[in-house]
Amino acid sequence: MTEPILTITDLETGYGDVQVLWGVSLQVPAGRVTTIIGANGAGKTTTLYGTMGWLRPWRGRIALKGEDVTHLPAWAKTQRGLVLIPEGRQLFNTMTVDENLDMGAFSPRARRGREINRQRVFSLFPRLQERRRQQAGTFSGGEQQMLAVGRGLMAEPDVLMIDELSLGLSPLLTQQLFITLKTLKQQGLTIVLVEQNVHLALALSDYAYVLAEGRVFAEGPAHEVATRSDIRTAYLGL
Amino acid sequence: MIVSRSQHNTNNKLVFRPDGEDHPSESEHEPERRFMLGLFASMLDGVLVGAVYGLAASGLTLIWGVMDVINLTHGAMVTMGMFGVYLLFTETGLNPYAALVPVAALGFVAGVVVYWTAVHRVVGRPPLMSLLTTFAVNLMVIGTGTILWSTSPYNVDVNLPGFSLGDYTFTGNHLLAALAALIIAGGLSLFLGRTRLGKAIRAVAGNRMAAELMGIPSSQVLARAFGIGIALAALAGALIATLFPFTVLSGGSYELKSFVVTVLGGLGNPTGALAGGILLGLMEGGLTPFITVSWIPVIEFALFVAVLIAFPHGLFARRPRR
Repeated sequence: MTEPILTITDLETGYGDVQVLWGVSLQVPAGRVTTIIGANGAGKTTTLYGTMGWLRPWRGRIALKGEDVTHLPAWAKTQRGLVLIPEGRQLFNTMTVDENLDMGAFSPRARRGREINRQRVFSLFPRLQERRRQQAGTFSGGEQQMLAVGRGLMAEPDVLMIDELSLGLSPLLTQQLFITLKTLKQQGLTIVLVEQNVHLALALSDYAYVLAEGRVFAEGPAHEVATRSDIRTAYLGL
Repeated sequence: MIVSRSQHNTNNKLVFRPDGEDHPSESEHEPERRFMLGLFASMLDGVLVGAVYGLAASGLTLIWGVMDVINLTHGAMVTMGMFGVYLLFTETGLNPYAALVPVAALGFVAGVVVYWTAVHRVVGRPPLMSLLTTFAVNLMVIGTGTILWSTSPYNVDVNLPGFSLGDYTFTGNHLLAALAALIIAGGLSLFLGRTRLGKAIRAVAGNRMAAELMGIPSSQVLARAFGIGIALAALAGALIATLFPFTVLSGGSYELKSFVVTVLGGLGNPTGALAGGILLGLMEGGLTPFITVSWIPVIEFALFVAVLIAFPHGLFARRPRR
């Protein structure tokens, strides 16, 4: 296998004085879907925040496309192609759909392809095109999540990290969004998925890491993790 | 009056008499007419000056809305704008209106410097911290200004021809100041709505984390927003200097007015600030003929408190969203 596009080595971080991660190491190969699963409070979201630099890494190393990006702020990582769609959508509620998408394409590298990417987003989510002048804050949960994904895609990610895509959505909408992710996977996008809906996540993923108490408890090809009974009972509640 | 007239009229059953002492003559009407005209003129002038108040407040409210910092350097920066235009005018002979350009540029630079030295580390911290740091900068600026220029009054000696309404003369200065304030406020609105930096400022104001995750360097955007807020304060100061005499301490009273305007126009709503400023000016103009001028701040702050109680988001606030 070639060099992973994103490598996280012994990451330690936390909130204030409270350490959450105690040395997490992940490898994300290009063009694959990697999922991070685990119980609530295991450190999944913290791993994403630490990787992005929204939380400052206390120890460890983060390499993106061979470059050490450990201490770069989140915006600089986004500009280099590492993009996080955060939990809870985090849209610009008083801005329109188009303006939200514009903000996704803020970085110089994404601005060049802005209109092409906008059309791509609209073809994935035709609903957004119908409502492009509407304020994001007026949307339903599903539409907001579509816009959050669309805005993330506008940033031209090399690695797209998605935190809790299905949170608060109906099973039908969740299915639809996962079909969209499958399309993106087939187009060759590298995806890191943190997802409470473990079934769907494992079905879509190539490789899975199981976090527990801020450490990697187990890892392996997704279909193997899905069948390991010790993981199922202890950490996935299946 | 009406009662006595009807008593007269009962004699010959005429409602209106073409002659007689109960029909008020022109000379009796004149003071009333002149008073009404004077009141109208005073209110119109209030609107003109109010547009400049609105401009000053837009700087305060921009910073407040974008980074949740109540900028207590605001008054000092209004003062700097006043002395900026004064010095450029007296030392270099630059036209005071042309001097608006360098005053705005210097205000922007000063704002960016103040942001990185005094504001950056306290953004997102408890409000008392930014109140203290900006107040400290305020004291330094005003102290330095007092050393340089003492607290004696200065004025920018420019008089543009205007027009008269009754006894009231509108100088060209007032008209031009209001026009400049409107143009700058309109420019601010276009800037926030259309430009890349303007949208980035709104994005950071709306959700700093999301902005950062979309590749927007939020601290740099905040520094520029602070610079723009200070530039607006300085521009307002420069325009006020063409209207009234001023001292180093004058900025303080415009800072207080800016707070009233901000509350009228909606917290963190720069375009509403212009409407709030005009409303405040209109009120001042309407009250001036009736009361001693020193009562006006008392009334303004009574209004400030009343509006805060009745409309916690301001009179013209956009509907708050989640």
